[in-house]
Amino acid sequence: MQTSFSGGGTQTKMSFFGFGQSAEVDIVLEGQESRKTAEIKTEDGKKERYYLYFDGETVSGKVNVTLKKAELYYDRGNHHEFTSLVKELARPGELTHNASYGFEFLQVEKPYESYTGANVRLRYFLRVTIVKRISDVVKEQDIIVHTLSQYPEMNNSIKMEVGIEDCLHIEFEYNKSKYHLKDVIVGKIYFLLVRIKIRYMELAIVRRETTGAGPNTFNENETIAKYEIMDGAPVRGESIPIRLFLSGYELTPSMRDINKKFSVRYYLNLVLVDEEERRYFKQQEIIIFRKADKQRKNYQQALQHHTSTNPPNMAPPGKEKGDSEDSQEQNDAAGDN
Amino acid sequence: MPSTPQLSPQEEQEKLLEEALSVVKNQAFQMKRCLDKGRLMDGLKHASTMLGELRTSLLSPKSYYECYMAISDELRHLEMYLVDEFQKGRKVADLYELVQYAGNIVPRLYLLITVGTVYIKSNELSRKDILKDLVEMCRGVQHPLRGLFLRNYLLQCTKNVLPDVEEDSAYVDPATFFSFFGSDSGTVMDSVDFIHLNFAEMNKLWVRMQHQGHSRDKERREQERRELRILVGTNLVRLSQLECIDIDRFKKAVLPGVLEQVVNCKDAIAQEYLMECVIQVFPDEFHLQTLSPFLRACAELHPNVNVKNIIIALIDRLAAFAQNEEGSGIPTDIQLFDIFSQQISQVIQNRPDMPPEDIVSLQVALINLALKCYPTQVDYVDKVLETTEEIFNRLNLDHLEHGSMVSKELMRLMKIPVDTYNNVLTLLALQHFGPLFDYFDYKGRKLMSCHIISNALENETLIPSQEHVDSILNIVNCLVQDQNDQPEEAEDPEDFAEEQGLMGRFIHLLQAEDPNQQFLILNTARKHFGNGGDQRIRYTLPPIVFAAYRLAFRYSHLKEEDENWEKKCQKIFQFCHQTIGALIKAEQAEIPLRLFLQGALAAGRIKFENSETVAYEFFSQAFSLYEDEISDSKAQLAAITLIIGTLEQMSCFGEENHEPLKTQCALAASKLLKKPDQCRGVAVCSHLFWSGKTAAHEGEMHDAKRTTDCLKKGVKIANQCMDSSVQVQLFVEVLNHYIYFYEKGCEQIAVQVLNQIIARVRELLPNLEANEETEQINKHFKNTLEHLQLRMEAPDSTVSYEGLVL
Repeated sequence: MQTSFSGGGTQTKMSFFGFGQSAEVDIVLEGQESRKTAEIKTEDGKKERYYLYFDGETVSGKVNVTLKKAELYYDRGNHHEFTSLVKELARPGELTHNASYGFEFLQVEKPYESYTGANVRLRYFLRVTIVKRISDVVKEQDIIVHTLSQYPEMNNSIKMEVGIEDCLHIEFEYNKSKYHLKDVIVGKIYFLLVRIKIRYMELAIVRRETTGAGPNTFNENETIAKYEIMDGAPVRGESIPIRLFLSGYELTPSMRDINKKFSVRYYLNLVLVDEEERRYFKQQEIIIFRKADKQRKNYQQALQHHTSTNPPNMAPPGKEKGDSEDSQEQNDAAGDN
Repeated sequence: MPSTPQLSPQEEQEKLLEEALSVVKNQAFQMKRCLDKGRLMDGLKHASTMLGELRTSLLSPKSYYECYMAISDELRHLEMYLVDEFQKGRKVADLYELVQYAGNIVPRLYLLITVGTVYIKSNELSRKDILKDLVEMCRGVQHPLRGLFLRNYLLQCTKNVLPDVEEDSAYVDPATFFSFFGSDSGTVMDSVDFIHLNFAEMNKLWVRMQHQGHSRDKERREQERRELRILVGTNLVRLSQLECIDIDRFKKAVLPGVLEQVVNCKDAIAQEYLMECVIQVFPDEFHLQTLSPFLRACAELHPNVNVKNIIIALIDRLAAFAQNEEGSGIPTDIQLFDIFSQQISQVIQNRPDMPPEDIVSLQVALINLALKCYPTQVDYVDKVLETTEEIFNRLNLDHLEHGSMVSKELMRLMKIPVDTYNNVLTLLALQHFGPLFDYFDYKGRKLMSCHIISNALENETLIPSQEHVDSILNIVNCLVQDQNDQPEEAEDPEDFAEEQGLMGRFIHLLQAEDPNQQFLILNTARKHFGNGGDQRIRYTLPPIVFAAYRLAFRYSHLKEEDENWEKKCQKIFQFCHQTIGALIKAEQAEIPLRLFLQGALAAGRIKFENSETVAYEFFSQAFSLYEDEISDSKAQLAAITLIIGTLEQMSCFGEENHEPLKTQCALAASKLLKKPDQCRGVAVCSHLFWSGKTAAHEGEMHDAKRTTDCLKKGVKIANQCMDSSVQVQLFVEVLNHYIYFYEKGCEQIAVQVLNQIIARVRELLPNLEANEETEQINKHFKNTLEHLQLRMEAPDSTVSYEGLVL
């Protein structure tokens, strides 16, 4: 009997002789009750919740074997394993009573983030295999891996002037080029020339999942967010603010050439629609990354201003005022939890 | 969109609105239900759906407004709920962020404003930044109608939470010692910035409406814009409600921003409305301190702006303020008039296309201001008139056609000092009043002149000097003499008579305290009116003559003080003689005749040196007029009656003058053409011989013989009358004369004579045809008999009627 730790790969099995009966295998992770969980989409779009691990973290626990009926595992095929660690938990022999085996994979490298896309799925799981003569008993337990990034040192704003000659010239600015998952995109659109009758303008977040390589490359675009930022027709000189909170959308970190198999890129798509339903757009890639959860930001960050030259001057509800009678109310209003 | 093509646009609007309102109602109901159950997120979703109705482009501004009102009512419910929850201490974390996930901008911003207001109400610490954020985020709605209403919602929600404190310092609530206002609660200046920005954005949107759609819809669009203007104006109202804005702040920080926006938007409708708004919403004290910038802005407005109305509105307000008893009046350090005067001329200069009537309207306002704020400063009024004159000169305007706008305005301008001062003399002190007359056409001048003269008459303004007379008659010259530009055809005689009648009455106002001055006045008036032509002098010279007679009487009263009075009187009579001569030349007879008689009477009474000669001359002149000029028999009778009456009254003549005059009168009376006239003439003449007086004798002459001779002659003539009705009438009249003299004690009259005439009348009377005339004669006769009856019966009667047969 062995446990294996796999990232995306096919199963490995070891023989475990002497089983006459079916057995129920149960994996209990170390410190399970206090471990965080995270949600991930399955291929059919449902959401499942699993325990969350980060790169380099030890994955350890126990495998409990209860003698019972066996379950079958069907290989799904077309799977690529990029990491796999195997530990033998018990020597071949006969298992006649319930047993519990500890296991530990020390500081497992988990370089990629769990991901479920349109055409690709990246998963981490623990698998216990009891090798028997006729059919093995296999138990898999998914875990979720989040990759955390440092706040990027270089994070320039995206600023660009685009246009169609004698028709429309705009300058847009997004305050950063790299956003974390709960970030807020702040920016503005400045109209330099408007000769078309604009009906509205929206900002879309598009996820482009690229799979395969060479001639077999396949792109799948999905619009994650559609956000109207302007209603009506502006005139020259008008400056339209943008503020888009990311945390409400199902984003993942940007991924590039994951295991040489796939990439996930994010684009901000600025779309202007005129009265004849013609669409004018400009796509701009942004990098999405995951940063370690900190204390939740309070609402005042929500006020973060679109004018980058004029940074918001929001004093957080100071603790120095916390000794006053009204401090409770202040904190409430600040939405601090 | 129209489901049935036959719907009229109005019906379609009604239908669309009805649909929208039903969605609003439904969603609002569900929103409230969710809120009642504490399901805030669901509540917000319904609110957002409800707000989706405000995304429409199909509703007219009016319908959109109704939809907006319905929705903002419902949002108030949401706001109250949230305030409640916050106060209960419930954590509604990140609500400000949450509502921003709404994908559509219009619902999103309405929700953001609602939630933002709630945050401010719960914690003032944040208000400065929230306000700033809200007003900035609203830029996302660039559609004019939707943007205007959104920002109006912003204004409405923040109405009671705008910072209105002086200092950006912590305020310590004395009750709790808790420093409630943090450094970010903001000051009144933050509110000013907030409103300024919102105002600028709303105004931009409002102006933008003008340039959308087809040009054929321009009128409708402008109408719609006018309907929406109050939304923009609310910003200014809000500014005016901030209590911490004092004069200084208003001057330095509030008004400049507003004016800049107004001027720069270059839109006539907006400018006109907003400038009036500024005038109306801010207090007078503020306006007084900011006149120059305000008026400078007026000068820069779009050429289509009726800037005159704006300035006039301001002037009217300040003028009313100056007169308000409770107010402190115009501060002395503000040269209100000078400022307005200067700025108005700037405005006029900047607008070469300004219609002249508008220019004059501005001057009207200015003159009103001068009169109301500086009632004693005549020079201000004069300055306005001078400016007006200069403008007319520059524009090369004259002979303003009567009834034209500019003529009307100029008339309004000039009537103001007339009606305010109610004193023609003050008008004369205005150097530039008279010259402006030259810019009217004939009719305009005449109306204006009549107005001035009527004003003098109403106020009984006396004109006390020759110079004044000279000036005023120059001003109203068109009523005095013919004009070069007067129309060919003769005027309506009634109007003419009325207008000249005014002048006649006016002459009586020419009164100096000093008689010598008065003489000069009359001479001047005579000179002016003498040129009036035959038609006018009929009306104007007689009053002058009468005034001259009056002056002669004044001298006679002053004989103790003025040793030259007699000479002066003589001069006056010469003046009159000559003036009457002018009337004779104008082919008048009856008036000169009467004036001569009046002069004779006056000369006779005053008794200066040579007065008898003068009186005789006047009298004889009257006589010769009678003889030479009066041909109509009726007029002759009237004239001779007058002459006789006058002579009867006079006592200045010596025998040698009196006798020919008497005799002439009797002769003239008996020489009248018609018998009845003769009869009446001689009958009247009888009095000359009875109660006539001469210088030689004291008292009446009582020449009984010649008196009765006259009456006998009268009876004789009456007998010759063919018309029995007239004859009876004459008998009755003569009878009355007889009775008069009988009662006066004329011994030549016997009761027999009376009996004879009475009998004769009795005999003739029944034969008369019964008609009204007969009735009258009968009545006259009866009255006469009744009189006699009473006399006979009166116990103390001094007259004996013995033998009288009634």
